Amino acid sequence: MVSLLSSAVLIVCLLMLPLFLSGPYHMHILILTMLNVILAASLRLINLSGQISLAHGGMMTIGAYTSTLLVMKLGLPTWAAILLAGFSAALIAYLVGFPFVRLKGIYFSIVTIFLSEMVVLTAQQWEDLTGGSTGIFGIPRPDPIVIPGILNLDFSSKVHFYYLALVLMLVSLLILFAVERSRIGLTLRAIQQADSLTESVGINATGFKVLAFTIGCFFPGLTGGFYSHYISAISPDAFSFLFSIYILVYMTVGGDKRFAGPILGASVLTILPEVSRPLKAFMPFLFAAVLIAVIFFVPEGIAGLPNLLRRGRSGERTAHA
Amino acid sequence: MSTAALWQSIFNGLALGGIYILVALGLTLVMSIMGIVQVAHGEIYMIGAYSVYYMVAVLGGNFFLALVVSTLFVGGLGVLLERLCFRPLRGQADRAFTVSIALILILQNLVLAIAGGNPRTYSSPIGGVLHLLGVAIAWKRLIIVLVGLSLLVALFLFIKLTNTGQAMLAISQEREGAALQGMDIDRISGVAMFMGCGLAALAGGFIGSLFSISPTMGSFALMKGIAVIILGGLGSIPGAVVGGVILGLVDGVLPAITTAHIAGLIGFATIIMILIFRPQGILGHE
Repeated sequence: MVSLLSSAVLIVCLLMLPLFLSGPYHMHILILTMLNVILAASLRLINLSGQISLAHGGMMTIGAYTSTLLVMKLGLPTWAAILLAGFSAALIAYLVGFPFVRLKGIYFSIVTIFLSEMVVLTAQQWEDLTGGSTGIFGIPRPDPIVIPGILNLDFSSKVHFYYLALVLMLVSLLILFAVERSRIGLTLRAIQQADSLTESVGINATGFKVLAFTIGCFFPGLTGGFYSHYISAISPDAFSFLFSIYILVYMTVGGDKRFAGPILGASVLTILPEVSRPLKAFMPFLFAAVLIAVIFFVPEGIAGLPNLLRRGRSGERTAHA
Repeated sequence: MSTAALWQSIFNGLALGGIYILVALGLTLVMSIMGIVQVAHGEIYMIGAYSVYYMVAVLGGNFFLALVVSTLFVGGLGVLLERLCFRPLRGQADRAFTVSIALILILQNLVLAIAGGNPRTYSSPIGGVLHLLGVAIAWKRLIIVLVGLSLLVALFLFIKLTNTGQAMLAISQEREGAALQGMDIDRISGVAMFMGCGLAALAGGFIGSLFSISPTMGSFALMKGIAVIILGGLGSIPGAVVGGVILGLVDGVLPAITTAHIAGLIGFATIIMILIFRPQGILGHE
């Protein structure tokens, strides 16, 4: 109940935010933050099944090219193209999912890295379609949404993109939350804890892992589609190996045990570099320091901090008694 | 493609294979003995290259002396990392993995801050070419193959003949059993990190004599190292050799026949196929 109320308050705050902070720079940072929240939260869904995917960068690239090409070569409406971008990434995840999830632990992560590298190489090689290493420029903005007299979103200002990203983030989080609370989420947790045991009671662990990977890759595809129309350019190596690593860091620092973890992690680590601009040159060090501090001292991540503090205080009390 | 050109690319591939073998041997040592995935291995390799760059191109030192000093220095860095970062997290592979990701960020940006982002070069003092079967083989490439081969033999003998080497083998096969037999896992892990990082540094030092170096050069080496280990099987020295030679030849010859991108695609697809259909590697066992 409390979390429902605080979520509602937070959403109202986010809706009103552009009234106070509407400069293009602030809007840009907030848009990126919300995209990172979607990415980290969807990575956690895959993580629920006990697999660490480093394919989020590759999936974003697939989504970005799919949406761009559908709009620029086939003339599809941008909204359909962005949605199809999500489905194209999910389709590829589904197809490679069955052989991939047979690999345990780090080997799964490795093939997801290789898959991302193959996406980059394909985009570089296929010059007729993708423009090769230079990529594609002048990608059109999303089609305007006009409800006469009420709403006129033509995406000429970043505030419009802000609201689009906000809707995208809220819908994505809602879907991810629903999936996690459904039987699928429970089954995934069971698989994470005891893989072969779940198989032995008749649960199709492979199928559920592929399902988690497919759903988890839909969102980076969608985000990639949005991103290409927002930035209006895309190149093959825009989302490299390091990009996928950063998403993993957001999730880990926020805490992968709780739904709020990746949301907190992505928000803090995207906004922190911006508020500490004088420190910008040292940012990767600060980033790494936060990561190491979390690994050694707060294994449950930022989202687990309140719990840790509470336990610490009750521990003191017991010590006094 | 003419026969001579084919032989030329085969030979270039073998030299590349020598580098891959050095990287993969180090990585396989670290991974099998410490039970972690050390993804900052590529950055260790990069630091090896920059150490040589500073000693040779900036201070004007001797190339071979610089290689030795850099190998020892980076090996020592490895021991430090084992002690500070990986020992406290032993048995928690996923947390150690995350820490090594943090190390990528730290080491890459440290070198970026010190040396800048521009690619750097230094040259090997060994000039001249060897003419063999109508192919011109540069001595600076041949030396890599020779050093790679002799280190390989040395490592093989070390593991076969010394107590430490046998303990390494035991720990990689059955960690708890080895500990129960009184093997000092702390010490052996330190030795493995020293040797693993030293080998990576040597590979980095050599690659700088062939190509330009940059702070982001590590991820390429990491990918190749992992690919070689998958080809050959984790923890297998002969496997790393066979894997390194195969991958070196593929990377030397394929780009000459098709484009570099298609060659890369074929490489990755092959590794994925091997992982799926023969996860123990070409020479590995269950």
